[in-house]
Amino acid sequence: MFKKILIANRGEIALRVIRACKEMGIKTVAVHSTADANSLHVRFADESVCIGPPKSADSYLHVPSIISAAEITDAEAIHPGYGFLAENSSFAEVCNSTGIRFIGPSPESIKLMGDKAKAREMAVKAGVPVLPGSNGVVTEESSAIEIARELGFPVIVKAAAGGGGKGMRVVMAEADFANAFVMAQAEALASFSNADVYIEKYILQPRHIEIQIMADEKGNTVYLGERECSIQRRHQKLIEEAPSVIVDEGLRKRMGEMAVAIAKSVRYRNAGTIEFLMDEDRKFYFMEMNTRIQVEHPVTEMVTGIDLVKEQIRVAAGEPLSFSQDSVRVSGHSIECRINAEDPEKFTPSPGTITAFNPPGGLGVRVETAAYTQYVIPPYYDSMIAKLIVHAPTRDEAIMRMERALDEFIIEGVKTTIPMHRKILEDPDFRKGDISTKFMERYNTPAK
Amino acid sequence: MNLKELKELIEMLKDTDISEVEIERSGVKVRLRKGGDVTYHPAMPRMDYPPSAIIAPVVSETPAAATPAEKAAEPATSNQTKVTSPIVGTFYRSSSPEKPAYVEVGAVVKKGQVLCIIEAMKLMNEIESETAGKIVQILAENGQPVEYGEPLFVIEPA
Repeated sequence: MFKKILIANRGEIALRVIRACKEMGIKTVAVHSTADANSLHVRFADESVCIGPPKSADSYLHVPSIISAAEITDAEAIHPGYGFLAENSSFAEVCNSTGIRFIGPSPESIKLMGDKAKAREMAVKAGVPVLPGSNGVVTEESSAIEIARELGFPVIVKAAAGGGGKGMRVVMAEADFANAFVMAQAEALASFSNADVYIEKYILQPRHIEIQIMADEKGNTVYLGERECSIQRRHQKLIEEAPSVIVDEGLRKRMGEMAVAIAKSVRYRNAGTIEFLMDEDRKFYFMEMNTRIQVEHPVTEMVTGIDLVKEQIRVAAGEPLSFSQDSVRVSGHSIECRINAEDPEKFTPSPGTITAFNPPGGLGVRVETAAYTQYVIPPYYDSMIAKLIVHAPTRDEAIMRMERALDEFIIEGVKTTIPMHRKILEDPDFRKGDISTKFMERYNTPAK
Repeated sequence: MNLKELKELIEMLKDTDISEVEIERSGVKVRLRKGGDVTYHPAMPRMDYPPSAIIAPVVSETPAAATPAEKAAEPATSNQTKVTSPIVGTFYRSSSPEKPAYVEVGAVVKKGQVLCIIEAMKLMNEIESETAGKIVQILAENGQPVEYGEPLFVIEPA
């Protein structure tokens, strides 16, 4: 087992990893920019190294600083968290070649599944349904429009190197196609330095259902149930839950086995998530694979009782999975609200000083946060303040528990998205579980 | 301070609520901590020994890479500037163990002159001075791990 791990991240996920390490008796090294010198993750780690000025490119994304920090502290492994360098295959390669264990999948898996078009091909090869679409990248507008006609509108043009909702254009009718195609390519080039796009059939009221998998060094691959992440605004998830209302035992098994098949086909190791889109008839289609631990991993932990971060560390250290497919149980219902420092209506960022901070407590309530009273939210990074997670025996009780917890959560000094979460939880469609990725559109203010 | 005095001090400490005491006498500093180790280090540097032989590491639980605020000595006058580390790595006073240090206290340096090496990922990075002036203090020790922003030298600009 590792004696010392460096956490190449910040905020709540850095704290999450530090907690897992502490409970395993592993020493921790926090890295931070000058803007994060007074962060909780720095405070609670055994050692800390300042790696650069505030800008991410010069600090949390600066590979030489992070590797150097691991060298001077004799860290044996690096946990990349999510975001930043977590899905950067070059970083994973540099770690491994420097003799530092990257806690995650191999650089090859990251590269392969990070290419959305290639990932689609792998899914097809593994016998997993994919959304009908172009077989790989389309560069010429003339072939693109032909493909779109065959698929039938609406279609979506997507960046092959993309993610996070960038470099995507939905085309409802043929008349709009040419323009959308060119715009998507331009956006892809600007956001990812890669203008490659592909085309897919577009589902009008899809549900975003993802499967958590974990694989050890021997290739034992287990699925840990699904998460529903349909409550999204501009492709940013707001609320996630496990299990999904429309996934029954049989469907879970089918989707889970497909997810495992994809992971095995690329010899995937460590934690990963396979995202599916589900249509109104419960037909599911592979969307993409995320080769990292995800923001919303806690809801899976609450319903399965498995500590996913500890498992990541064990797997990276060569230990076998501490559970088998037969031993995994999904019990009760868990919901997570991502609470951001943003205007609850306009979603514009609201950095500044948190003047009062009192997280909720009580049975079945879990808060993942690096915020505290007098904490200054820096303007350089994401606006997440906290993840509020609840667990209860049923979905109805989980919703009540989340409403109760949101009422108790005191955050003053900055605007937060708590009022928006309250609105969503009160919505009759949400309470019925009648949701899709279009759900948040009902709150769009009409254009003036 | 002799052994007898030290023993008396330890005895006294046992009977009190004091958990840690530091005493300085005749150029020797002693810190006693209940349940911890005894360390000696000189209050003032002695000229007849090389610095690394005298200064024993202080036993403490603070992390190896301390924050810049803890490590820096305040410059005496306001126009003195600190040279801080632009990268993470290991600080070396010379280009190799056999070679002399790039600069000593009192050295007059030109802008762009190499002050030290910081090794990062097996690469030796020469750190150059941004100003011309005189080295007033050397704040980092040879072989010390340094973080971004760690104070290395105090320079009095010319």
